[in-house]
Amino acid sequence: MGPRIGVYVCHCGVNIAATVDVEAVTRFAQGLPSVAIARDYTYMCSDPGQALIKEDIEKFGLTKVVVASCSPMMHEPTFRGTIQEAGLNPYCLEMANIREQCSWVHGEKDKATRKAIQLVAAAVGKAFLLEPLEERRADVTPAALVIGGGIAGMQAALDIAKAGFLVYLVEKEPRLGGHLAQLGKTFPNLESVTPLLSKAIEEVEGHPNIDLLTSAEVVGVEGYIGNFKVKVTDRTTRRELKVGTIVVATGYDLFDAQLKPEYGYGVYEKVITGLEFERLVSSSGPGEGEILVKGKEPQDVVFIQCVGSRDKSVGQEYCSRICCMYTAKQAFLVKEMLPQARVTVLYMDVRAYGKGFEEFYDQVRGEGVIYRRGNPSEIYKKGERLVIRAEDTLLGEPIQLEADLVVLATGITPRRDSLKIANLLKLPRSADGFFMEAHPKLRPVDTVMNGVYLAGCCQGPKDIPDTVAQAKAAAASAMAPLCQGQVKVEAVTSIIDEELCSGCGICAEVCVYDALSLHERKGVMTINEVLCKGCGACAVACPSKAIKLSHFTPTQILAQVDALV
Amino acid sequence: MEPRRKGLKPAALVIGGGIAGMQASLDIANAGFLVYLIEREPSIGGHMAQLDKTFPTLDCSSCILTPKMVDVARHPNIQLISYAEVVGVDGGIGHFKVRVKQKPRYVDVDRCTGCGLCVEACRLKGRITSEFDVGVSKRGAAYIPFPQAVPLKATIDPERCVFITRGVCGKIPACKEACAAEAIDFEQKEEMTELEVRAIIVATGFDLFDAHLKPEFGYGLYPNVITGLQFERLSSASGPTRGKITLNGQEPKKVVFIQCVGSRDKSVGVEYCSRVCCMYTAKQAHLVKEKIPDAEVTVLYIDVRAFGKGFEEFYDRVRGEGVVYRRGNPAEIYKKGERLIVMVEDTLLGESVQLEADLVVLATGITPRGDAENLADLLRLPSSSDGFFQEAHPKLRPVDTEREGVYLAGCCQGPKDIPDAVAQAKAAASSAIITLRNCMEVI
Ligand SMILES: Cc1cc2nc3c(=O)[nH]c(=O)nc-3n(C[C@H](O)[C@H](O)[C@H](O)COP(=O)(O)OP(=O)(O)OC[C@H]3O[C@@H](n4cnc5c(N)ncnc54)[C@H](O)[C@@H]3O)c2cc1C
Ligand SMILES: Cc1cc2nc3c(=O)[nH]c(=O)nc-3n(C[C@H](O)[C@H](O)[C@H](O)COP(=O)(O)OP(=O)(O)OC[C@H]3O[C@@H](n4cnc5c(N)ncnc54)[C@H](O)[C@@H]3O)c2cc1C
Ligand code: SF4
Ligand code: SF4
Repeated sequence: MGPRIGVYVCHCGVNIAATVDVEAVTRFAQGLPSVAIARDYTYMCSDPGQALIKEDIEKFGLTKVVVASCSPMMHEPTFRGTIQEAGLNPYCLEMANIREQCSWVHGEKDKATRKAIQLVAAAVGKAFLLEPLEERRADVTPAALVIGGGIAGMQAALDIAKAGFLVYLVEKEPRLGGHLAQLGKTFPNLESVTPLLSKAIEEVEGHPNIDLLTSAEVVGVEGYIGNFKVKVTDRTTRRELKVGTIVVATGYDLFDAQLKPEYGYGVYEKVITGLEFERLVSSSGPGEGEILVKGKEPQDVVFIQCVGSRDKSVGQEYCSRICCMYTAKQAFLVKEMLPQARVTVLYMDVRAYGKGFEEFYDQVRGEGVIYRRGNPSEIYKKGERLVIRAEDTLLGEPIQLEADLVVLATGITPRRDSLKIANLLKLPRSADGFFMEAHPKLRPVDTVMNGVYLAGCCQGPKDIPDTVAQAKAAAASAMAPLCQGQVKVEAVTSIIDEELCSGCGICAEVCVYDALSLHERKGVMTINEVLCKGCGACAVACPSKAIKLSHFTPTQILAQVDALV
Repeated sequence: MEPRRKGLKPAALVIGGGIAGMQASLDIANAGFLVYLIEREPSIGGHMAQLDKTFPTLDCSSCILTPKMVDVARHPNIQLISYAEVVGVDGGIGHFKVRVKQKPRYVDVDRCTGCGLCVEACRLKGRITSEFDVGVSKRGAAYIPFPQAVPLKATIDPERCVFITRGVCGKIPACKEACAAEAIDFEQKEEMTELEVRAIIVATGFDLFDAHLKPEFGYGLYPNVITGLQFERLSSASGPTRGKITLNGQEPKKVVFIQCVGSRDKSVGVEYCSRVCCMYTAKQAHLVKEKIPDAEVTVLYIDVRAFGKGFEEFYDRVRGEGVVYRRGNPAEIYKKGERLIVMVEDTLLGESVQLEADLVVLATGITPRGDAENLADLLRLPSSSDGFFQEAHPKLRPVDTEREGVYLAGCCQGPKDIPDAVAQAKAAASSAIITLRNCMEVI
């Protein structure tokens, strides 16, 4: 008996149905050879939609299922699960993308419907030839690696360790803490950082499940979720660690204020950055807790926000999320320490969005800090003092402010060496240069690399509470495979025809997952099926046509093409 | 901690089935523990189920939410208890005893197929304001809140159903007559169950600021003054207007959005910023431009807080599409003929202006749940001065609470967008997993 195919055409509410005549597509599908049943439904992915498929599998004895709906990126796992529950092999599913590739991009109903029909025909053509594939499982090494020992890395390490797993925490500096170690008090409640941080460091250093490697760097990563092999060096030794999952928590750098030469940073001593201000007022800093500029207390202090943020002229379009608040905090501290000083903040928008932030912003203004809306064009020197030229956009007039101290709220940027980690772990970065999460809404700490997760500012600017929450979130993701003890391994892999392979090794060069190697004795390439992600790069590169990709074999693809043309 | 009882898989309780509660449940379940997820409404999904597209990437909310809802329902480690409430909590970390009240749906869920015949038949069909559509549409007493509901089961509203309130509804209640599965069951009673759990996650979400409290904007008085959430239903492809932005059948040509309604406003006792309304307004302004390209769209703001990943870029894009941003908070809205006039002082120009509008959208703020105090009492949880549940430490313990074994996820702790709510939910799950794993070791 040949295959019995069920075809399910989704309306996606009106997302598809408004542009594609779903009923016509269904009628067409019903007429195709081997199609036992074709149906349309408002939301195939909903519970009743899936129930429909399961019932039909039993009722009509379906062996293959075609779902015509959205992108397989979205719902292939959903529908694979559905048919698996009804006893079919999950790889006996084929999807036709009639939303992203049809209804969303076309306007004319006739033509869109015709295209949808062709896409469905192609999917049915391929479904006819689909073969069941075996889903395999691999054991998981019950340990995790955390890269970066700022507050994000420490928190992630602590959570995983407390859940009972071994954690290697690799920090490139000699000490833990990251940027937090440089801060004085924190917004919005002005708590001192030092006691909080010391306690966290103590906890990390004392935890029996945490193996801390400071002054160390990761230099090599091999393997896959559940079984990574990681090479770490410090100045003297080289270690190889075996871990199941990896959390990246490498933090941020600050925008280089010299790239805004109009502010004279690096030229005028009295122009400093926000981070330098933190040191200036710190009790362990140079002034021992007093604000002194060249030995004198400043009378006029001007803060400038958004330096290197929201500024296309320096290629930084995004908002750095924390500088509004750290400026408010610093302005408050000046007022507290030097009540006589005049303190002005120049801003574009004040982004006091977090818990207690607006209240704090209010309090700061209540203390007499003056907020003026406008971005400065230039700073120049006049005698001992500085003059800031700006346009007050509320008054609509140019202003000049004198100051003995200017603090630039420089923005958060990706680590300058983040490409190194990106390459080691094959992590994509978003347009702003930060590491990219797997989905901007629903998977904010996962990455497209299974088993690799993001914590803290390496994914984008964040204050401490958001960093800590995200670090714990990454820990939750990183713990799941460790708790399960086993992971699923991609079943779609390359297959090498040993008769045809000449052992030239071109495929190994193109494979980014290091899945191919030469079999010494046989003189042909072999594939490590656990490393192979089924991307197909090798199949394209092979000059001898010795590699095919399961689930995307030439005959399957050609059947699709035939139906399309 | 009390040793684990033999044979019983350690369990956690999650209260609230919005995106935060769902995510927390999935993470705990994936770590191998049992989760009881209690949702008081007939379906899980929370506010996210009501949204059209989501900022800043504009993916359609139900497209990304529906599979999550199905995952929750299908997960072998998650026991979803919908239309139920927590009424008592005893014990402590590792050994909470939770009393749960299952409200009667008057529908036998084992028989109900979700076909909707009763919904069609109900004598009150189209007569009761739909909570899900925030009044943009009407439902009956027998209803399914939305087509993708999970579980997809009918519910009979006991406060409105004629048979329940008056004892008769025709000879046989129309729903009962219509139901082919014989699932309607007016004999159903409230049921109490007791659960034993090691940890509790609170994920009860938020309410919206009641726009009536700003009478100068005429909400409730002028039908063309609506809230942001109502806009979501109007704009949603699966909503009552099939995604057409129309009022009384007409497309608005002049649309004014007003930000910070009931946020950053001491006069109504809400000092804090609601964190999401700047961006949802930018998104909605974009949607108007997309659907009605010749519409004039103005946004009135105090500060534009586009702070998240990709937000500033999105704000830039929206302005590039011709949406006009004017800085200033309006004093009043009044009616002139068919149109509305928004009186506002433009603080950048320093002059007062009058804007004509056929649609005004109020970006109402996020507030604590009206009944948050009840739950706070049950769980003995402190609240912060803004009324949201208080975390154990504002920096380093953002999801733990003073009560050991009780954790917070999502907007019940303070306003948050979806990515932040999800991250926080996973964070709460991490805390709960630590507790669950440590309870196990005591055997
Ligand atoms: C001036 C200023 C004031 C601030 N004030 C406040 C405030 O008052 N309140 C608040 O909530 N937030 C404040 N912040 C924000 C706060 O600094 C961040 O939220 C926090 O530091 C983020 O922590 P992180 O762990 O993600 O990154 P980081 O602190 O940058 O830590 C990253 C760590 O990773 C290590 N690392 C990097 N690359 C590698 C590698 N390849 N291998 C190994 N290790 C590596 C680094 O050495 C570092 O230790 C302020 C920021 C600034 C700039
Ligand atoms: C108009 C508008 C537009 C928005 N647009 C976007 C957007 O485009 N992008 C974005 O990222 N964010 C957006 N948001 C924010 C988004 O809605 C929230 O981030 C998200 O819904 C928070 O989810 P939650 O689970 O915390 O809360 P909720 O969605 O409120 O869910 C809480 C759940 O708990 C249940 N519950 C409450 N109390 C109890 C109880 N006592 N017992 C049992 N169950 C209970 C409720 O019934 C509900 O199901 C928008 C918000 C609004 C108002
Ligand atoms: S947080 Fe404030 S100062 Fe920093 S970039 Fe954003 S708007 Fe500018
Ligand atoms: S997010 Fe924007 S609109 Fe909402 S309260 Fe804050 S500043 Fe106002």
